[in-house]
Amino acid sequence: MRDKIKKWLEPRIGLEEIVRTQFREYKTPKGANFWSTLGFVTLVAILIQVITGILLMLYYIPHPSLAFDSVQNITNGIPFGWLVRLTHNIGSNLVVATAMLHLVHVFFRGAFKRPRELTWLTGAVMFILLLSSCISGQLLPWNQAGYWSTTVISSMPSFLPVVGDSIAAFIRGGDTVTALTLGRFFAFHVVILPFFLLFCLALHIFFIRRQGLSPSPEQVPQVLPMAEFHQEQHPDGLPCFPNFSMKRLFMVFLYCATVSLILTFSPNLFMPEGTNLLANPVNTPGLIKPPWYFLAQYQMVKSIPNEFVGIGFQVLVLVVFLFFPFFDAGETERSIKKRPALMTTVIGLLILWAALTLWGMR
Amino acid sequence: MIATITKLTILAILLLATTSQASYRELFEKEFMSNPWGGNREAHSACVECHASEMMKAPMREPVFAWRDSWHAQNEVSCHDCHGGGPDDASMSMSHQRGFKGTPTLQEIPQFCGKCHLGILQNFLESGHGKALLETNSGPNCVTCHGSHDIKPASIDIINEQRCSQCHLYDRAMLMRQALFTIEKRLSGIQTNLNELRESGILLQTQRKDFFRAHSDFRTLFHTIDVNLVKEKTDEFMGRLDRIETDTRAAYVELAFRKNFSGYLLLLFLFLAFGTLMLIRTGENKK
Repeated sequence: MRDKIKKWLEPRIGLEEIVRTQFREYKTPKGANFWSTLGFVTLVAILIQVITGILLMLYYIPHPSLAFDSVQNITNGIPFGWLVRLTHNIGSNLVVATAMLHLVHVFFRGAFKRPRELTWLTGAVMFILLLSSCISGQLLPWNQAGYWSTTVISSMPSFLPVVGDSIAAFIRGGDTVTALTLGRFFAFHVVILPFFLLFCLALHIFFIRRQGLSPSPEQVPQVLPMAEFHQEQHPDGLPCFPNFSMKRLFMVFLYCATVSLILTFSPNLFMPEGTNLLANPVNTPGLIKPPWYFLAQYQMVKSIPNEFVGIGFQVLVLVVFLFFPFFDAGETERSIKKRPALMTTVIGLLILWAALTLWGMR
Repeated sequence: MIATITKLTILAILLLATTSQASYRELFEKEFMSNPWGGNREAHSACVECHASEMMKAPMREPVFAWRDSWHAQNEVSCHDCHGGGPDDASMSMSHQRGFKGTPTLQEIPQFCGKCHLGILQNFLESGHGKALLETNSGPNCVTCHGSHDIKPASIDIINEQRCSQCHLYDRAMLMRQALFTIEKRLSGIQTNLNELRESGILLQTQRKDFFRAHSDFRTLFHTIDVNLVKEKTDEFMGRLDRIETDTRAAYVELAFRKNFSGYLLLLFLFLAFGTLMLIRTGENKK
């Protein structure tokens, strides 16, 4: 049967050639380890979110008077609806974590350096889109937690002078979070953001495949001069299949095991207080907190007396994060270990982020 | 002729379409653009805004602060629900035409609370407590046991020696407390289970409504302060609570199933991960 399918496909799509060039002859750089698979794990995590999201959409009703009940119906009325909803909820948090780890790994590996500026840029934009997807998805169940978290997050741009209020009003579709916000967030969550996310993903993968995987800074310590296009072949590396593919598979199973672990022992880990209460705009909960990946930003705005300075600093960090390879273009050293100033700054920022997140959790 | 009819028909359709679009737009703007949907009550209450402000003397501010922590506040029962008046307009907030009543007299208190607690009002007025209040103008009223602005969820602990012996011997109250105990304990247990299940994502909305009704009926019954009637009705309430408890037990079984299923998934993925790791190691050893 398998041979018959292969025989049928071969003259039509050249299956042998695809397997040979894209898997057997496609080599990974020497020293590619389990950390190097995080990009692929993030891709699989996004796919899981897409699949569970489509399944949820089959029963979800984006209307304030029906959204909450429809989500309850998915969780408790539809067979295995709880599994789909909880996997989507847990996955939305874990995918951010894997993307963050991937970014940090890429940075410390110096993989953002020339000629991979565009790979970094598309990846960074994807990360922002991913966070936006998570935030927009929070409002959809129309519960107290999501409603008030959205109210807090959507008010953050209003601290910016001149354009701040307009940005906040655009996000909400008005002065407060209303039915219009729900419709808007639904459109963003299921159509607009996934479209741009998949577009950036396609570009990201294209750049990786076209340029070849980045070698480690130990192998290539300096940025090579760019005279003409050069595809990294890694002749001394190992074939992607089965060696690296097996590592990827292992990490994907580990990711699925982590989702299952949370499902088993703490299924409501990422469901804050008020998740199972209908949104009530006149009843403000005592404690409103955004999700963990926004706690640092939230805490910073809260702690700095001048909100504009707090938001302005974050915008600055965002711009530097997005375009860092271009700002760093003058430096030819690829290894971060040999750049103590940069290494100290980045580690300092990561510690600051972790400290603010922990502070925000209190 | 046919062409004229066709043109007129198209014109009529266009006119109708324009009208329906206009009314839709009006509805859209009214319902979607500004309505926050979560509830119908006013987000801003003129009563709260004034009474909580620094302009007021401390004793006039106290009711607002007491109310904010109350069971009423948690259930969105605001000042005007009891005191009347117009909370949306400061100039009309104390209007007697809008039914404003500042401080009710002792005899007016049951009617004040009975606007919402209808069943309780009836039973109370027919009870010894109610008759004593109406006849002597000094008997116990709602505030005697429940307080006024800092209303807390009622519990069996309201019946205690300190409170009841203000008017009569505690023995009679103790008999009532004993009669209530079994059902109260079950009500409290079911309430805990329903809250726990809600936190786990199982709302059981129908059962919550049934529970609320049973709970409310039982509290209404208590206000007759007729011990024999409470004992007589205990079996009926037990039956109602049995049905709710059957459903909560089923929900716990469902939660256990979910946990087991997720546990098997965890084992499966760990097994697959371990198998893959072994294959990686085998491949590396061969080289």
